[in-house]
Amino acid sequence: MKIIIAGAGEVGTHLAKMLSYEKQDIIVLDPDSRRLANLDNYNLMTIQGSAISFDDLKRVGAGSADLFVAVTPFETRNLLACMMAKSMGTKRTVARIDSGEFIQKQHKSFFTESGVDSLIYPEYLAANEIVTALKHTWVRNWFEMLGGELIVVGVKLRANAAIVGHRLRDLGSMSGFLHVNAIKRNRETIIPGGNDVIMENDVAYIATTREHIDRVVEMCGKTKHDVQRVLIMGGNRIAAELGKLIGEKYKVKIIEGDLERCRVLADLLPYCNIVNGDASDTDIMEEEGVGDYDVFVALSDTSERNILSCVMAKELGVNKTVAEVENMQFVAEAESLNIGTIINKQLIASSRIFQNMLDRDVDNAKCLALTDAEVAELEVLEGSKVTRRMVRDLGLSSDMTIAGLVRDGVGHLVNGDTRLLPGDHVVVFCLSGSIHKIEKLFG
Amino acid sequence: MSRSRFQHINYPIVLRMIAWLLLIEAFFMLVPMGIAIYFNESRVALSFGASAAITVISGAMMTFFIQPTSKTMRKREGLLLTAIVWVFFSLFGMLPFLLSGTIKNVTDAFFETMAGFTTTGATVLTGMENLPHGIVFWRSMMQWIGGMGIILFTLAVLPMLNVRGGVSLFNSEVTGITHEKLRPRVSQTAKQLWLIYLIFTVVMATLLMVGDMSWFDSLCYTMATVSTGGYTTSDAGLWFAGSTYEHVVVMVFMFLCGVNFTLIYKVVARGQFRALRFNDTFKWYVFVIILFSASVFIYMNIKGFGQSVGERVELSLFDTISSITSTGFASYKYEVSGGFISILMMTLMFFGGMAGSTSGGAKIDRMMVLIKNTRNELYRIVHSNAVTSVRVDGKSMAHELVEKVIAFLAIYVLVFVVVAVALTLMDVPIFDALFTSMSTLSNMGFGCGVTDGVGAYAALPVGAKWLLAFEMMVGRLELFTVLALFTRTFWIKD
Repeated sequence: MKIIIAGAGEVGTHLAKMLSYEKQDIIVLDPDSRRLANLDNYNLMTIQGSAISFDDLKRVGAGSADLFVAVTPFETRNLLACMMAKSMGTKRTVARIDSGEFIQKQHKSFFTESGVDSLIYPEYLAANEIVTALKHTWVRNWFEMLGGELIVVGVKLRANAAIVGHRLRDLGSMSGFLHVNAIKRNRETIIPGGNDVIMENDVAYIATTREHIDRVVEMCGKTKHDVQRVLIMGGNRIAAELGKLIGEKYKVKIIEGDLERCRVLADLLPYCNIVNGDASDTDIMEEEGVGDYDVFVALSDTSERNILSCVMAKELGVNKTVAEVENMQFVAEAESLNIGTIINKQLIASSRIFQNMLDRDVDNAKCLALTDAEVAELEVLEGSKVTRRMVRDLGLSSDMTIAGLVRDGVGHLVNGDTRLLPGDHVVVFCLSGSIHKIEKLFG
Repeated sequence: MSRSRFQHINYPIVLRMIAWLLLIEAFFMLVPMGIAIYFNESRVALSFGASAAITVISGAMMTFFIQPTSKTMRKREGLLLTAIVWVFFSLFGMLPFLLSGTIKNVTDAFFETMAGFTTTGATVLTGMENLPHGIVFWRSMMQWIGGMGIILFTLAVLPMLNVRGGVSLFNSEVTGITHEKLRPRVSQTAKQLWLIYLIFTVVMATLLMVGDMSWFDSLCYTMATVSTGGYTTSDAGLWFAGSTYEHVVVMVFMFLCGVNFTLIYKVVARGQFRALRFNDTFKWYVFVIILFSASVFIYMNIKGFGQSVGERVELSLFDTISSITSTGFASYKYEVSGGFISILMMTLMFFGGMAGSTSGGAKIDRMMVLIKNTRNELYRIVHSNAVTSVRVDGKSMAHELVEKVIAFLAIYVLVFVVVAVALTLMDVPIFDALFTSMSTLSNMGFGCGVTDGVGAYAALPVGAKWLLAFEMMVGRLELFTVLALFTRTFWIKD
C-alpha cells in the first residue's frame, strides 16, 4: 500500500515509523529538511516540499497513492491538501483537524464530496478515550465492538487476582468466558501459549463477552468504582472536549494556570468548575481536596509533570488516574508507574490510520493502537483465507491471535476449533509490525 | 548487571549478517569456477571450488554457532557491518588466488582482492595473457560486485536486511551527500539500481561482442567498465589492444556509469528529461570532461603526442573520462612528457564522477558545493553583511550539509596527504607517493613512476600494500563510515 504522509511533526513522524514497520510504502512530505532528516534511517522515502503544492504532490506521486494522510499543524492546510490529493487520484484521504464542529455527522457529506474521506481530531478522540476510562475505572484499556457484545480489556493484575499463578492451559474451566490474548510484562508484550503462566503485575489483555464481564472483574480481583467527581489538571483542547462530554454527568473541576484560558473555558463549559492555579503545586492540590475526587486527569503540556502529579494524586488517595503522555519514550515508563490510563495523541492518530488501512469502508473496521500492539476489529469477507480452515489449522504466526467474534449480533470467544464464517466480525490482537499480515489473511 | 566501559554493540547480529553475505560471495565464486571448467583449467576450477566450499562452511558455521539474542541493529552495528564486510569479502575472495598459486603471498593476494572489490583496479599481477581465465574473470567479477555494492546487492535480493538497520546500511554504502531514494522501500530502490546496472552490463557486453572482441574479453571488460574498476585482460591494456569501436563503447559506458544512477532511472524509466536539464551536477560533470579533455588535447598538440589529430581527440577524451570516473584503463605513459597531463589526471581523480554512480573520487557534487561556497565566501569578504546560500539544482542547500561537504573534503585531503607521507617513509619518490595515494583513495588504480605499469604495485614494500588496501576501503566507503570506527566514542562510553 502506498501511503503519503504530509507533515513530519510528532504525529506524522510516529505514523511514518509505525507504518514503515508494517511494510507499507511510505512517503513523507515536509517543507523542513531537518525534520525529514530524523527519518533518514527508516525504511521510507522523504521528500522536501509543501503539502499544498501541486508540483510537490505530483512529485510524491499523489496520483497513484492509496492513502493520503495530512497531519501538518494547520487544519485548513490539511483539508486543502487532502482535496488536492484526491483530485489528483489518491484513493483515500485523511485530514487532521482541530475543531469539533467538523466531525459532526451532518457535515460528513460535505467533506466526502470535497475529497476528504476521513477526519482525525486527536483531541476529541482522546477525550472520548478518557470518557471510556471513567466508565470502566478498573481497566487500563477498554475496547468494545458492536455495542459491547465482545469486549477486550487490558487489566493490571495484582496478587489478589484469581488467575495469577496459573498456567493458561489450567484455566480451562474459565475458557468459556475469558480468553487471554496477550500479556505485557516488563515492557514486553507476548502472545501467550498454553504453558505460559500469568504473573503478578502483568497487564493481561482479556477478551470476554458482555454477559460475563462481571465475572472477569471478579477473576481479576478488581472492584468497580462509581465515578462522581473528576479533577482535571490543565485546560487544553482535550480538557475542553472532555468537559463538553462529561460536564453534565459528573462533577468536574478544571485547574488551569493561565487566567485568560480559564475565562475561555468558563465561557465554554458552564457546568464545570474552573480554578485558576498551578495544579502541580501541592498546596493548591490539597486546597482543592484532591483526595476527595474519584478520578484525577492530568492534561498539562509536559508529560513529566502529568506523570508525577498522577503519582502524587494516587498517594493522596485518588482511585483512578489518567495522564496525557506525549513523549513515546515515557509511555512505557508511565505504564509501569501504576498510572491508570495513558492518553497519547500519536497512538490515537495511529489507531485511526490503521483503521483506514485495514478497511476501505472504515465503519466496518476499528483499531486500537497500544504502545507495541494493536487490537483490530474487522469483517470476514467472502472467500478470504481465514474461512478455509479451523483456527488452529490456520497457521497464524506467533505475533497475533484471534480474540473473539460476533456472529449474528452475538459475541463468542474463539478457540482452536472455531471456524470463521464470512460475515463474522472478529477482533484480532497483534503485536506491532504485523497488521499487514492481517490485511492479507482477511483481505 | 555490571557496567561495561565499552559501548554495547550487538556483535552476534553483525556476524550473522556477515555469515549470510559470505554465502552470497561463495555463490558468486561458482561463476569463475564454471569459466575455468569451460577452459579446461582443472586446477583453477578446483581452487574456486575449494574456496567456495571454505566460504560456505565458514558462513554456515557462523550462522550455526552464533545465535543473536536480539535482532536490533543500530547505527554502530550498521557502520561496523558495512565496513567490516569488505574486509571479510577480501579475506575470502583472495582464496582462489592463493589456492591456484597465481599469487604466492597473503599480502599481495589481499591487496589484489581489495583493489578488486573497491573497484580500484591496482594490480600486483603481470602477464595477464598467461593467467588462467578463471582468475582473470574473478578479478573483473569482484569489481562488478563491488561497483554497485555488496550491501546494495543483498538489499535487492534478500529480504533479511530489509529492516530498519538495512536503511542505515544503505545510507553508509551508497555514495553521496544525501541519499535520494527512488522508491519508498529500500529494497525496491536497491532493485531498481541493480536493474540499471544489469542492463548496462548486458548492453555493453553485447556491443563489445558484436565488435571483434572475444566473449570472454567482452565480459571481463564490461564488468571492469560498468563498475568503473579498470582491470584488464592483457598487459597491453585496452588502449593498445583495442580498436576505435571498442574505445568508443568503453568510453560511453564509463561516462554513463559516472552518472548518478537515480538520475538515469528518472530519465530512462520515468522519462523525466527535465531532471537532466535541471541537474547542476550533471552539467558540471559534462563541462569538466569537456574542459579537461580540451586542455589535454591542446597540450598533446603542442607536444606532438600521438600519430594523428583523430588519435589525440580519442586519447584525450578516453583518458579524461577514464580518470574522472576513476576507471583507470591505462593508456599512455604521460610522465615522459612532463607532469602536466599527470597532474590534470590527478585533479580529475580527486573530482570523481557523480555521487550515486559506481565511480570513485570525492564526487563532483561535493566539488561543486565547495566551489560555489568559495565564491560566496569571497563575495562576503567585500560585502561583509551579505547573506548567501549555496544553490544546487535551484534550491538552496542547508548550511549543515555545506559544512559536512567541506569537512569531507578536508578529511579527504588529510587522508591523501597522510598516506602519501607514509609512502615516502617507505622510500617512494614524492610525486609518485602523492599520485599513488590519490589514485588509491579515489579507487582509480593508476600508478605513477615506481607504481606505474602493469603489476608495478608488487614491488612496493609489504607495509605499503596493507596501507593502500586500507586506503581503498576508506575511499570506497567515503571516509566517514570507516573512519568513525577509529574514534573513541564508537567503542568507549565516556
